[in-house]
Amino acid sequence: MGAAGGRALRRGAAVRLVRLHLLSRQVPGALLALVGCGIALRCVLLLHWVVGDGAAAQQTPLLIEAAAASVVAVAARNPFGESERSTGRWLPYLRVGSALALTGAVVGLLAAGAAGAHLPGGCWELLRSVAGLTGIGLLSAAALGGAVSWVGPLAYTVVAEFALAAAWRTPWIWVTRPGHDTGAGLFVVLVLLAGVVLIALRGPRD
Amino acid sequence: MNVEINDLTRRFGRTRAVDGVDLRTGPGVLGLLGPNGAGKTSLLRMIATVIPPSSGTLRLLERDPGAAGPRREIRRRLGYLPQDLGYYPGFTVVDFVEYFALLKEVPPARVPAAVAAAVERVGLGDKAKSKLRTLSGGMLRRAGIAQAIVNDPELLLFDEPTAGLDPEQRVEFRTLLRDLGTRATVVVSTHLVEDVGAACGEVVLMHQGRIAFQGTPEQLTARGEGHGTGDAPLERGYSAVLAEARS
Repeated sequence: MGAAGGRALRRGAAVRLVRLHLLSRQVPGALLALVGCGIALRCVLLLHWVVGDGAAAQQTPLLIEAAAASVVAVAARNPFGESERSTGRWLPYLRVGSALALTGAVVGLLAAGAAGAHLPGGCWELLRSVAGLTGIGLLSAAALGGAVSWVGPLAYTVVAEFALAAAWRTPWIWVTRPGHDTGAGLFVVLVLLAGVVLIALRGPRD
Repeated sequence: MNVEINDLTRRFGRTRAVDGVDLRTGPGVLGLLGPNGAGKTSLLRMIATVIPPSSGTLRLLERDPGAAGPRREIRRRLGYLPQDLGYYPGFTVVDFVEYFALLKEVPPARVPAAVAAAVERVGLGDKAKSKLRTLSGGMLRRAGIAQAIVNDPELLLFDEPTAGLDPEQRVEFRTLLRDLGTRATVVVSTHLVEDVGAACGEVVLMHQGRIAFQGTPEQLTARGEGHGTGDAPLERGYSAVLAEARS
């Protein structure tokens, strides 16, 4: 077999590995759920349940963003347990790749859902919120397990909803800060980075 | 030596699941016996590089699993069947075994043949295209064994491999164990003394995290002469050693 044949074989094996990994994480189902989140956001905006740019206007989109982040976190679970954890070097890359690809899908689908309508804070705040909530979801998957990783984004959302109602202004609750706020942006980057690194190196708790 | 363990300890909170174990073993089948909570599974999980030891040294395939590079190399040459086998029900038997072959970096050109051989060796050839959700408990266990052996490992770890297998399948599995043990180091944790007697060249009996006995099945049998309880000679040896460890 020539070098080109060997490369094609390796590429074929890589594609097959990625496909099997994504299937085992039920990524097709997760994508369907994310499409549902995009449609829900579209309906909320078209039905004018969100008015203006104030704190109250952010509450419903935040719930949808938390639901989408929970889908990403739950898809990080490992159905194979320890037999998978004792395998070679590709697993961390597969974990990170699927988590980031799904996060990208969340941003794309929610941005598509909000296209042409008025979303409080715009796409930049959407990206920040999805990134932060996904980071919390991945941390939650590493600490609690993939199946219950939705607990993290849900708990954060409850606190954030309260913070919005009470007009808090802390960077820890990024939705209470404007889109260009450096402290809130930095916090979101750190949370996402921590979640991605932990899920790559340790994986979700079995 | 494929497994070299010195003064290995693993704590969970205040409990010492494995307490100062020393063990060396090369190619062959090693049976790990002991009552519930003896530390067999914790020891196996450390050898499988799934959990790190709390203290002591562990060398596998002449490498240190504590360092990232050597650990990757060990994992490529390792097969592990955990006590609780997880699986994705939508996979076929071939998908399941192939996924592990690819994860363990079996050369791409060899993957289809390696998967087919592993599935045949565990007697699931006629179920190769069946979804895992349709298989019985015993068949799932055999699929788990197939994923463990697909990379032709040099170090194989089985935790309760015969749980759920019928008597005929257990006899076949023992034959497979003996065959695997001619080339690789196979460590089998089990409650079933007869599996050890039939397939293992060496036996380690654990009690409260420590090794209470290490030797051949014949030596364990000899320990039971005139002592112990049990229907078979090896069972009498097992209970005699445990009674001695408890006293």
